[in-house]
Amino acid sequence: METESKLKSTLDQIEHINQAIRHTQRLRTHVCQIFRDIGDGLGEAAKSEEEQQAQERQKVLLGSLRSSLETVGHDIGELDKVGQTLVPVSPSANCDHVSLDPILDRTPLYSQVNTSYKRTNKMHEFASLAANILSQNALKRSPHQHPAGGKRVKRHMNTASMVPQAVVDQLVATLDRQHQDMRITVSRPLGSCAVMQMVLGRVLKAQVVLRGLVIEWVKVKGINEEFSTENGKVDIWSKSRYEVFQKISDHAAAAMLHYYAPFMPDIGIRSFTLWLQGYSNLFSAPCHKCGKYLQNAMPPTWRDLRNRDPYHDGCRQ
Amino acid sequence: MGVTCVYSYPVPDGKSGQAVVEILQRQIELLGALRSGHFCVDCDTFQSILQTSINVQPKTVYILHNSEQPASCFAITDTSLCLTADTLFDGLMHQLKNYYQQRKNAKMEAKGQRYELGDFILKVGSASLAGSFKGIIVEVEYCPCMVAVDCWGLMKELLQSVVGSVADQPPPILKNRQDELYSPSITVSQYLDIFNNFRKLSATNQIGR
Ligand SMILES: [Zn+2]
Repeated sequence: METESKLKSTLDQIEHINQAIRHTQRLRTHVCQIFRDIGDGLGEAAKSEEEQQAQERQKVLLGSLRSSLETVGHDIGELDKVGQTLVPVSPSANCDHVSLDPILDRTPLYSQVNTSYKRTNKMHEFASLAANILSQNALKRSPHQHPAGGKRVKRHMNTASMVPQAVVDQLVATLDRQHQDMRITVSRPLGSCAVMQMVLGRVLKAQVVLRGLVIEWVKVKGINEEFSTENGKVDIWSKSRYEVFQKISDHAAAAMLHYYAPFMPDIGIRSFTLWLQGYSNLFSAPCHKCGKYLQNAMPPTWRDLRNRDPYHDGCRQ
Repeated sequence: MGVTCVYSYPVPDGKSGQAVVEILQRQIELLGALRSGHFCVDCDTFQSILQTSINVQPKTVYILHNSEQPASCFAITDTSLCLTADTLFDGLMHQLKNYYQQRKNAKMEAKGQRYELGDFILKVGSASLAGSFKGIIVEVEYCPCMVAVDCWGLMKELLQSVVGSVADQPPPILKNRQDELYSPSITVSQYLDIFNNFRKLSATNQIGR
């Protein structure tokens, strides 16, 4: 539909141009005629003929000259009129016809270019979003992952993971004193790395493996379960036989990452311990959101990271 | 092994025990629980023979077994003292037959279907005295928790979705010991309490006739 009207206007344009050319040609002929008449003039006729005859000839010449001038004036007016209908041709006009080109139309190039352009655009957008999100969550815990230039950070990492045993022991003793319902002891079955055993009231047991003051590994089990193998060795791998404590182990791993603070390593352990203490009402507190005790046969297994409010896994924000 | 509540579920007039058991089973299956075999709790009664004087009541010892603790044997005296031993204790009781004699036709049993739902174990079955039906038993155990007073709220929520108002209060035996660290002997004590109630009921019924 659109191309049809375009085509029509183009044809009109061509017709106007033709008319203008024709008018110009006619104008030129008439002007030439006038100059020729004037050039011929009265000439020889005036010498040989009588006075009266000459006067008559002069009259005729002037008459034809006058009519010629009138035609020229008319031609100019006509050309002016046609000239006004002519529109300047825009330089982009030819591009409009590219998609109409029958050969290009048969190749899929146009649509392919279109798709890849859209893809590139979208990829760029997602990449910038991802970079934005990743930069907010700096969860790099290994000193080797830092790019060159992170020298200052590197030194701090080392101090967090390489502290004397006495410092760790002292911190654990302080935590044990601070939390009345928690019994925290420390052992070193794996060499220099400390393993914290935490017993929270009559609810749960947790085992926390430390590298210096950085928490490396957390497992939570029931109060009637053991963290040692049959031959008495410390067992940090096996999971609880109860679904509740398996879930809490997962949550504790998330909390350990959340509270990780490389610049003040003891804060990480202190706040993690405080958070874990929030489980003292694991079986006795209903969910803060739905007000019920059970959801999918599970008590509220999540504790809010800021205020330790109990939530079901499905109810947390 | 965790906190356990055992209730006897009343059979309404005009309904058979089997029909009520089936309704309860369907209720439990609707919660999403999966069948996981059967359970059995049995109780024998032994009475002392030697009497120092005529006025003294004969002493009674109940011997119970629970399929949840298959290697154990529970002996409960009439002063509700409970001894947990391994199954060799049965043989010992038979060695003592000059002092304690097994009462005839007094064996009580609770048998039925066992279910698992997350960390819960649910059981529904019928109790019988010497083979004749006496009532329905519903048991719910929450394995991760060891203190009854802590988890009563969530147990009540689950129990009431199965047995309704029957579980408004903790079972009387549990109520007295809800601050203790839970042990399997509390479960068998609850069974014995229910068995003794069934015995009393059938005794008064016989007198009534
Ligand atoms: Zn909830």
